[in-house]
Amino acid sequence: MSLVIEHVQIYSPGSSLHGDTSIGIDAGQFVDPAQLSNSVVIDGRGWTLLPGLIDMRVNLREPGLEHKGTIASETRAALAGGVTTVVATPNTDPVIDTPADVRLVLERAQRAETCRVLPTGLITQGGDGHLLAEMMSLMEAGTVALSQGDAPFASTAIALNALKYAASLDIPLILDPTLADLRGGCAHSGRVATGLGLSTNSPLSETLAVRLLLELVEVTRCRVHFSRLTTARAVQYIANAKKRDLPVSCDVSLAHLLFDETAIANLNPNFHLTRPLRTRHDRDALRQGVIEGVIDAIVSDHAPHEPGAKLAPFPETEPGMSMVECTLSALYALDHDGLPFAHSLRAMTTSPAHLLGLDWLGQIEVGYTADCVLVDPTGQRVFDHAHWISEGENSPYFQGVGMGQIHGIWVEGNDRTDRVSIGIRDDSR
Amino acid sequence: MPGPAELQLNRDGNLRHLLTTEGLSRELITSLLDTADGFRSAQGQPVKKVPLLRGKTVVNLFFENSTRTRTTFDIAAHRLSADVVTLDIRTSSASKGETLFDTLKNLEAMQADLFVVRHSAGGAPFFIADRVTPHIAVVNAGDGTHAHPTQALLDLMTIRQHKGDPNNLSVAIVGDLRHSRVARSLIHGLRAMQCPDIRAIAPGTLLPNDLADLGVRTFHRIEEGLSGVDVIVLLRLQKERMIAGLLPSEREFFKLYGMTEDRLRLAKSDAIVMHPGPINRGVEIANEVADGPQAVILNQVTNGIAVRMAVMAMTISTQQADALCRL
Repeated sequence: MSLVIEHVQIYSPGSSLHGDTSIGIDAGQFVDPAQLSNSVVIDGRGWTLLPGLIDMRVNLREPGLEHKGTIASETRAALAGGVTTVVATPNTDPVIDTPADVRLVLERAQRAETCRVLPTGLITQGGDGHLLAEMMSLMEAGTVALSQGDAPFASTAIALNALKYAASLDIPLILDPTLADLRGGCAHSGRVATGLGLSTNSPLSETLAVRLLLELVEVTRCRVHFSRLTTARAVQYIANAKKRDLPVSCDVSLAHLLFDETAIANLNPNFHLTRPLRTRHDRDALRQGVIEGVIDAIVSDHAPHEPGAKLAPFPETEPGMSMVECTLSALYALDHDGLPFAHSLRAMTTSPAHLLGLDWLGQIEVGYTADCVLVDPTGQRVFDHAHWISEGENSPYFQGVGMGQIHGIWVEGNDRTDRVSIGIRDDSR
Repeated sequence: MPGPAELQLNRDGNLRHLLTTEGLSRELITSLLDTADGFRSAQGQPVKKVPLLRGKTVVNLFFENSTRTRTTFDIAAHRLSADVVTLDIRTSSASKGETLFDTLKNLEAMQADLFVVRHSAGGAPFFIADRVTPHIAVVNAGDGTHAHPTQALLDLMTIRQHKGDPNNLSVAIVGDLRHSRVARSLIHGLRAMQCPDIRAIAPGTLLPNDLADLGVRTFHRIEEGLSGVDVIVLLRLQKERMIAGLLPSEREFFKLYGMTEDRLRLAKSDAIVMHPGPINRGVEIANEVADGPQAVILNQVTNGIAVRMAVMAMTISTQQADALCRL
């Protein structure tokens, strides 16, 4: 059954459609509504239609970590955040380093009938950074890119081999720039950690890794996407690399755009992250990086945990924040705090679509795949216990409120609104 | 969510837990030190026994090794006539895989009035205070590299006793500030007491970043840092620092930063030398200084008992008053 959304404000970076207009959806694609007849009609007055968001870093926790979340629960949480495509990390148990693992994730995602799941696999066997995994077999099984998860390469030698091998087979890599021997520490080595005496992580662990990996990219010409930048200097290095036409891109997490090191002053374990929150200067540079397009993508870095993982003194808690469910609200919050929505939306639609080679996705335009979100941007969103979907309650938004009431969400033209408990669309309008 | 500095005070600003010296007011610290002074006799000796905490139960929860601190807390609780139970958790529940949260719930069921907590993880006493039932006071006896507030208070008591109000003194802290909860708590305490000149003296590898944000001036050469100071606080150097590659050797540390008689002369002639103990002779301090007239290290230990009595008395009394309000 085809669908027409009438009189809706279309807001889609790069699209020819904008403002008060109507759009049709048929056979999974956006179509000209004039060509449709006998369609279901939705009155979109007062609401905005956005392209479905693309989140390049989500921990779905399945297989093996179902006590933290499942593919079904966390992809539902993604839909509730306006996210219609997630790139799944390989940090599961067992990790995703064989074609069978990839197929398992794809099958369970298909069964969940929620959002689009694009798996990634590990570059090295077991993710320990020592021996190469069957990289091409993983890609053929359906991964969209390969990564090292949260872990760095064990040595520069294996990093060089991985980049050379990937470049020769045109495999894109997603890398966390972290130097193996400088990783660790639960807080940024700045004034807040100094006052609290927390174990520290130096920004050098990131900046040195970025410089080293850029040098390897220069030599190998491997396509590398740097994930979760946290420092102003790293943004500068990537900007310079792009000027030299190196095949690099990068992303930043919502947490690093929203918060800085002062968020941990009260030892709230929800702010204990794998890559620590850094200074206000770094946060501002990351926002500026998104505005200028140096930073290509924004990720939720969704990391749901069971309550017990955060029920300990700060340094002993597991790092990570449950965020995908709050993605759209976070973008609206940033819009009111110096990061215009037009830029953040691009970093979660057209830009990641392009990076992932999904050029049929990320826009509301005739002929594109019909992933979209119908939202009341001024509507308040309540994240109370009854409406929370993710298995992980380890979020600064949990028990709070946000902006952006979602009234409908479609993935490849399929209505997924009933997957989220955040207010069912009123079809009588 | 309130942090340690807020959680330890009740709505009226009275001390119901002692988790950190950060955020304590000059008035509150002064009142604690005055109380501690009251627990010492005219000769400077602590009074032997007062019935303030009769019928109260103090539980020492030591998740980390300690002899001195534990002993002084024991003595302090006994002198207040409290019943004292000491649990060496390292060798009991923790090694059986029980989480800190579950250990806490068990101990709570035993009707204690005050927990004295030492733990290797920064923020552990805060974690406990945040989740404990309202009538139980929590006193931090050292958590990771976060805080050691009773040590800082006894240091302030000793400074006040020998040199007067810290608000016109120069204080130099020498050694491993980076890994020292003692130094961190003393810095917060000195700032609260409006100390105008706090100095840190150490090589770059033993200094945390952004100390200037805490109002501390850093010096890498001890000769520059000691010039004209009233108080010198030496910190204990752990052998792990050499293994971690932060320092070449104890010998070189002593050569560059050891407190010798010659270096002591750079400070004011009546400067005092303090150390949280146990001291490493020939590493942080030369024999002549350790045994000399300007060292007040043993007096610190004596003051430690009085300060811990004051902290226990004050936190339990706040808890009692709050409990009456809840009725």
